Amino acid sequence: MNGALVDAMLVLGLAVIVVRRRSVAIGLLAAQSLALGVGALSLTGGRSSDSLVASFVLLSKAIVLPLLLYALIRRTREPGLVVAAASGLVRLACAGAVVLCAVVLVPSIGLGDAHTEHAAVALVLLGITIVVARRPILFQLLGLIVAENGLSLLAVSVPGGLSYVIELGALFDLALIVTVAAAFAHRIHTELGTGDTELLRGLRD
Amino acid sequence: MTDLVPILVVVVPALALVGMLLVLLARTPRQAHLLALATAVPTAAGALALAATALARGGLPALRGQWYFLDGASGLMLAVIAIVGICSIAVSPAYLRTSGRSWSTAARSQSLYYAALFLFWAALLAVPIVGNLAAAWLIIEATTAASALLVAFSGRRDALEAGWKYLVLTTLGLSVALLGIIVLAISQANLGHHGLHALDWHSLRAAAHGLPRDSTLIAFVLLLAGLATKIGWAPVHNWLPDAHSEAPAPISALLSAALLPSVLLVAWRVKSILEPSVGSATTRGVFIAFGLTSILVAVPFLWRSLPWKRLLAYSSLEHMGVIGLGIGFGTPLAIAGVVLHVAGHALAKALGFYAALPLLRIDPDAAKRAPEGVVGDSPSTAAAMGVSLLTLSGLPPSPLFLSELLILLGGIAAGDALVSAIALIALALGFLGLLHALIEGVVGEHARHHRRARSRAERPIIALTAVLGSGLLALTAAGLLLPGSGFVDTLAKGAL
Repeated sequence: MNGALVDAMLVLGLAVIVVRRRSVAIGLLAAQSLALGVGALSLTGGRSSDSLVASFVLLSKAIVLPLLLYALIRRTREPGLVVAAASGLVRLACAGAVVLCAVVLVPSIGLGDAHTEHAAVALVLLGITIVVARRPILFQLLGLIVAENGLSLLAVSVPGGLSYVIELGALFDLALIVTVAAAFAHRIHTELGTGDTELLRGLRD
Repeated sequence: MTDLVPILVVVVPALALVGMLLVLLARTPRQAHLLALATAVPTAAGALALAATALARGGLPALRGQWYFLDGASGLMLAVIAIVGICSIAVSPAYLRTSGRSWSTAARSQSLYYAALFLFWAALLAVPIVGNLAAAWLIIEATTAASALLVAFSGRRDALEAGWKYLVLTTLGLSVALLGIIVLAISQANLGHHGLHALDWHSLRAAAHGLPRDSTLIAFVLLLAGLATKIGWAPVHNWLPDAHSEAPAPISALLSAALLPSVLLVAWRVKSILEPSVGSATTRGVFIAFGLTSILVAVPFLWRSLPWKRLLAYSSLEHMGVIGLGIGFGTPLAIAGVVLHVAGHALAKALGFYAALPLLRIDPDAAKRAPEGVVGDSPSTAAAMGVSLLTLSGLPPSPLFLSELLILLGGIAAGDALVSAIALIALALGFLGLLHALIEGVVGEHARHHRRARSRAERPIIALTAVLGSGLLALTAAGLLLPGSGFVDTLAKGAL
């Protein structure tokens, strides 16, 4: 895949961990998913029609999921910004360290394109970092999707492409998970008056 | 019967999906329950017919088609999922009568409960028979969505926390597993095997010797680490005690008795197919490490004074550890123990969770603290809890006594005497912990005054104790025939 698009995906992922406004974060995620879809489309030349279907699946993901998330934030208005566990700079430094680890420590997995390999693994780790580092429920959901985008980046880069059945199935599963998570977010917001997951820490042994 | 297999593998999960759609049409809770039962009976019957076909083949090769794969391990899991599934549907009205309105209106909530339960059941039934690693992953991911809603069904704050934690942690874990699958797909593509069918169990098995060791090792570790999250193996088990204790009791039974071992079956198949490339020392080591860690982490909690369902959740952690250990040892004796353990644990754990229904009716505070002197308030509930605890602790003639013995002997036969010795000590401590819970919580004196159970309300738990208790004794007898059987020897050569 085009190196600039891969870098853009990584930068957009890093931005998601830094920004505070939910609407901005959703916009960044939409741009990242779009970059992924466009990149996948650019790889379809000389491949089977499966790759083309997979690219359109990814492009549709870039439209459908952000719309769903926008609908969610309209239904769950926050009384104020959720207090962050760490400052934006600290979060960025942590995320940068995670990306560096992915570049330095992850061995070759046989793709033949080290840049894409590192970026994909870094995005998966970045998604996990977002879930851990961000307290608002919507950001944790965005972390899951960033990790999924990293997986899709690797999947479309497989020589000959991964089957569209897997892409479609993964999109269906992701849509299902996001819908269920959105229902949770709405319910939690109704129960607590906020989407701050820090308040969900009652279960201990 | 073998001729019907290609039809049944489609019809069984499809029937459960039909059940999901039918219950959504119900106008009253009674209609929803009747429709649920009417669909559950043929679904379970079909699944048991498939299971019987697979198990009757003994040591013969697995049946497979373009999309399905049916071996002895599939048969075992199908039987477990069918039995626990229909029992969970049958006892659900007892839970729903007291659950209130939860996420929606009371009547609508019940339809949604059954719809999510059928979706969960359909996905569970598909996991052991699907013939492709990527498809198995997709179905396991689908179980997360359906079961997360069920975990948080009560809508209480703690249930929402448990459901959210379960959703996020298992989805992240499965993302790591998917990374492993893609790494495997890259290796297959480099060998010229493209498309979805390159990830069929038998294609992977056939190509395993040619797969590059380094990238296959990465794939194996990622797959196991990811699936471990869903299996609930320590140290990635954080969601398990919360989800099991907050979910409705019939759902906790399905989670513990059916979901965890189903995902474990997928992990077992991954071990079998990648062993030629990665090496048996590595694959065995990973299973033994997860298994032993899970047992060691669980045992201290079995000694603590915990609410009933939370105690059962930690017991699940212990037993998934025992099964992981058995698969890791991999000798015919250990595999005989694994087969028996999966079945025995399922019946005993399901009975334990079903006993929580009358228990919480008599003493609602038991959701937050350890039960006290249940026998004084409800002898039949105490009997169900006692049968469950004694079986799970491994007291003879429990099938779990025999299965744990077989697994430990299998470990010694595999040359892992030290691991077996550590596991034996931990299991003995776990046994004492559960015995302590039985004496203190079930048969001891009770300090508070509770509602007395009405004899009519106790009938379902009496029937379940009789049926599942008899099943457990039958399993002990059947377990004696397992070592040396063609069925077990075939599984020991690889669960494929």
